[in-house]
Amino acid sequence: MSYAQKVQAMSLIRGLVLLLGVVSCWSTAIAQDVVLIANKSVQITEIKDADLRAIFKGEKTRFADGSHAVPVTLKGGPVHEVFLRNHLGSSPDEFRAQWRKAVFTGQGAMPRAFDSESALIEYVAATPGAVGYVSRMSPQEKVKTISVTK
Amino acid sequence: MPRRTLLLLYLCICAVSMQAQDLAGIEIHGFATQGFLFSSHNNYLSMQSSAGSLQWTDGAVSFTDSLTDNLRVGIQLHMYQLGELGGPNVQVDWASGDYRVNDRLGFRAGKVKTPLGLFNDSQDVDAIFLWILLPQSCYPVDNKSFYLSHVGGEVYGNLTLGDRAGKLQYRGYAGQVYLDLTGGYLKESADQGLVFTSAPGGKVYGGDLRWQAPLKGLTIGSSALVQAVDGKGPEGTDHVSPYFVSAEYAQFEKGKFYFAGEYRRSPLNVILTFGPAVIPIPLDVRSWFVMGSYRLGKKFQVGAYYSHDVNKALDTNLPANYSKDWVASGRYDFNSYFYGKIEGHFLHGTGLGYYDSTNPNGLKPNSNMLAAKIGFSF
Repeated sequence: MSYAQKVQAMSLIRGLVLLLGVVSCWSTAIAQDVVLIANKSVQITEIKDADLRAIFKGEKTRFADGSHAVPVTLKGGPVHEVFLRNHLGSSPDEFRAQWRKAVFTGQGAMPRAFDSESALIEYVAATPGAVGYVSRMSPQEKVKTISVTK
Repeated sequence: MPRRTLLLLYLCICAVSMQAQDLAGIEIHGFATQGFLFSSHNNYLSMQSSAGSLQWTDGAVSFTDSLTDNLRVGIQLHMYQLGELGGPNVQVDWASGDYRVNDRLGFRAGKVKTPLGLFNDSQDVDAIFLWILLPQSCYPVDNKSFYLSHVGGEVYGNLTLGDRAGKLQYRGYAGQVYLDLTGGYLKESADQGLVFTSAPGGKVYGGDLRWQAPLKGLTIGSSALVQAVDGKGPEGTDHVSPYFVSAEYAQFEKGKFYFAGEYRRSPLNVILTFGPAVIPIPLDVRSWFVMGSYRLGKKFQVGAYYSHDVNKALDTNLPANYSKDWVASGRYDFNSYFYGKIEGHFLHGTGLGYYDSTNPNGLKPNSNMLAAKIGFSF
């Protein structure tokens, strides 16, 4: 292989690596783009960030229209971490500690938690009032999405 | 036998899968801890701590079921061994029905945790704290059962005051409390020769108001409690007229930092009667603490606090009438369920946590202490 061919091949490899990196970052960003989902019986289409925080912290049990809210969570993973950080201002450890305090003092029942987004979607689709979160890439036909406002 | 029972409880908790269980809608959670204490001089908390002691085990399991959207019922069973305190008996930590009319108004009835200051109702939930021992001036571990819960009822709610005024959380309660027959107060009494075979107790009522300020992370609150105690044993009686305990507190969380402080005052007169002899014990206890902590990473947290307790009704120069404790702590979370803690205490004064029967040769005014704990919670 001539020197020029070697340089050309190296440039091609560098380009491919760069492209793979961009695609990987893009798909990770999409995967971590969190969407709030709810059972189709839930009437509201948007929720204030403060109300969402209060529902997932157990301070509120109802949506703004008065209907009962059933918050559900993922057990872990990047989507769980992004949701807690962006909407509750908590880390997974802090979130768990808040709920442990409520549970062990008799002041609350911990939200049901799921291993996978598909299991969470199935539960939300089947449970009136259920509200949870998934990655934007997950299918959302069985549930409705709710936008979060400031 | 007590150790065997505790071990059994521990194994039961561990045997359950490493996650909270949900059986036909019933949520099951639990925790178990094992502590170690080594002190330079005196024996602390009725343990043989000057020789190093592992006699410190705690475990609880709770069952909760939401019967309707508004009604929840639950029970928590608790067992502890702290030196000569506690023992094999399973105690009902709380057992209540909780009816929430809406977010502003709810009711609980049964055996309900008592709010007093920042941590009273959660002081036995080791898993949520960085500290092995909470500030003993306000939350004495050897007597935690006394204020922890009452049999009666509670009204509670959350009020949103608007975007610029924050939120208000209120709780008001009334009921009956009993001293723990295996707890510190009655051990102290027994050391003096006054033994009770049935638990002394009395009426209690009070409330707690805490304000979540618009400044994110800042909470300010105040609690008040009125309590009476009467007891009768074969050798004599114990009488405490209704007394008033007040607590003011604040906490602030920002990012990896946490700060908190509390001030408590409890003036009361204990009257012990041994046959014809009447012994008044005046108490005007002023207790406070300040604490701060920092999260070094996802798994590691460090912090320090100073805890101060003094009985102003007696000579405050005597070590027996005050307790001052400088504390440094560290906690490491191995995973979401297991954690370990280590803590150093620099104690001045002997006003809290010491018993005559475990210190037969008297007490030295100062003592240093190392505490370690491992815990599991699901």
